[in-house]
Amino acid sequence: MKNFFGAITVIAAGFLAGVVSVASAADTIVVSMKGPGAGNPFWAAVQRGAEEKGKELGVNVVVLAPPTESDVAAQISQIEDQLAKGVKGIVIAPTDPNALAPVIDEAIADGVPVVFIDTKGTNAGVTYIGTDNQAGAALAAKHICDNVAKGSDVAILQGIVTQSTGKARADGSHEGLMACGLNIVAEQTGEWDRAKGLAVMENIITANPNIKAVFASNDNMGLGAIEALKSANMLDQVFLVGFDANPDAAESVLAGEMAATVAQNPYNMGAIGVESVLTLMKGGKLAPVIDTGTVLVDKAIAADYK
Amino acid sequence: MTASSDLENGGLPEQADTDGIRTRLLPFMDRFGILLVIVLIGLVMWFLQPDVFFTWRNITNIFKQTAANGMLSIGMFIVILTAGIDLSVGSVLALGMMTLAVANAGGMPWPIVLVLSPLMGIAAGFINGVGITKLRMPHPFIMTLGMLFIARGLANLISGGVPYSGLPDPVRFLGSARIYLGELDGTRLNLPVVFLATIVVYFVFWILLEHTVFGRRIYAIGGNPQAARVSGINVDRMLVAVYTICGFMAGIAGLVMAGRTNSGFPNAGQGMELEAIAAVIIGGASFFGGRGHVLGIFGGVIIMGLIKNGLNLNDVSSFWQQILIGAIIILAVFIDVLRRDLGTRH
Repeated sequence: MKNFFGAITVIAAGFLAGVVSVASAADTIVVSMKGPGAGNPFWAAVQRGAEEKGKELGVNVVVLAPPTESDVAAQISQIEDQLAKGVKGIVIAPTDPNALAPVIDEAIADGVPVVFIDTKGTNAGVTYIGTDNQAGAALAAKHICDNVAKGSDVAILQGIVTQSTGKARADGSHEGLMACGLNIVAEQTGEWDRAKGLAVMENIITANPNIKAVFASNDNMGLGAIEALKSANMLDQVFLVGFDANPDAAESVLAGEMAATVAQNPYNMGAIGVESVLTLMKGGKLAPVIDTGTVLVDKAIAADYK
Repeated sequence: MTASSDLENGGLPEQADTDGIRTRLLPFMDRFGILLVIVLIGLVMWFLQPDVFFTWRNITNIFKQTAANGMLSIGMFIVILTAGIDLSVGSVLALGMMTLAVANAGGMPWPIVLVLSPLMGIAAGFINGVGITKLRMPHPFIMTLGMLFIARGLANLISGGVPYSGLPDPVRFLGSARIYLGELDGTRLNLPVVFLATIVVYFVFWILLEHTVFGRRIYAIGGNPQAARVSGINVDRMLVAVYTICGFMAGIAGLVMAGRTNSGFPNAGQGMELEAIAAVIIGGASFFGGRGHVLGIFGGVIIMGLIKNGLNLNDVSSFWQQILIGAIIILAVFIDVLRRDLGTRH
């Protein structure tokens, strides 16, 4: 009789569980993204990469994200709850590397392997799988070098250089543009922001009317800069390369306004992330950094990024 | 069905019944009904995740995850008791946390670092209170909305908008320390210090509100400020005290959050003022002031934590969590409206 009730309970629980799309935690890998895939093509691609790789390798992949990229506390809670549930591997893009560090230490102490994707965390010995931003910025710089006469005035719109991504993109573009003999007249921060990118660009063109090319450390600032160039009637003389290949930038490249942008490979982050954490779960070893690669997106392929 | 028909005929035969409800059941449900709701939600969660939900680790996780909101909510509660509102608590949390983290990075000794967050909270709360009373702001909404921006801006300003990490253990004690209780069936039982602290704080607020003159005056102000004034209560001074206490609790929440994350990050606490307001409303307080009790607020905080935890365990999208919490706020107040109908019909 007891068994009968037990069976009924299990079946009913299983049914209810099915309704809210739950699977057993046995051999589950959780992929914790900074923001939800819905509405953000970048995270949607990470999610697709992770889920397709999970299916291919026959492991159960659960993809989670806090409701917004600033909701650090929600991401911490999600990891805590997954650990309580007995998840076997964690692939995480930390919303705030410092704030997530304690809960990641907790996972490691529990023997749960962790890898970082997209954003490098602060925990020692954890592999980072993501874009080599310096190499990506160098790729953009090379494209500028190939299209602008030697010795021309060029400018760099930096992100927030106290962040590792901002610094890597600033360094990569600076070295690339210097190496091919261009004259960098301005390196200023637009703090990743479109409106600030616009304002900074207005100041740069006022001071440097002969400017021939701009590298914007992200597309938002690049799109802002394009507005500034448009209203100064300078758009056709300036070769502008952005970074991120977001859909607005792809449109802009297709329209012939932005010359090119650099795409990260978020699909690879998800896929390689799952594959790598599985390697760790089986007792294997990983390199400390795995580059997921960058692609130059010009008019020829921009339609793929809309 | 039967309940509503009882109501509609205001009923002669059922008269005795409804009287019974009014005099005995209602006050009881008023106070302890929320515990039944918690048990109910807990049972559903247990049913959905029988292997996980009722584990020691998961239960302590819930307390860790709700602690900061618990600290904010009890401060928010006494403000709402006076028919006020404090929109600045999330930003004040961030300000306290960043002040603490920056001071620590600057090499200040830990006893000073430890008190900085509560001190910033007291300062911000005091300014809120003085602004509301002395600048005669038409509604606390205005003053605390201003403080929401000012405190967030200050938090960004002192830190340059970047996170600082690595805090000494005594500073992290409140937010992250665990007391080892022993072992049971192979699992180590660790009790988060922050859970004990939450219980102590709520107990102190219960004493304060229900067993002191100060507490009775807070209820009186919320119930009827004119009457409170006429009866000799210095309403302005009381309001300054209330907002200062609320700020102090936001500072404590900042200390909790800093300990939990071993860092200060400028985005901390964004939107948490709304979560605190939600917990207070779910907990049975009224925006018109003078109504609600400490146990209810504790229940409101736990309900929000339970729902988030339960949905996380079931891998439900965080978008659904937002929707569900919104629905629960509306449902909680609607139940309260029905309850009041039941209580006041003749």
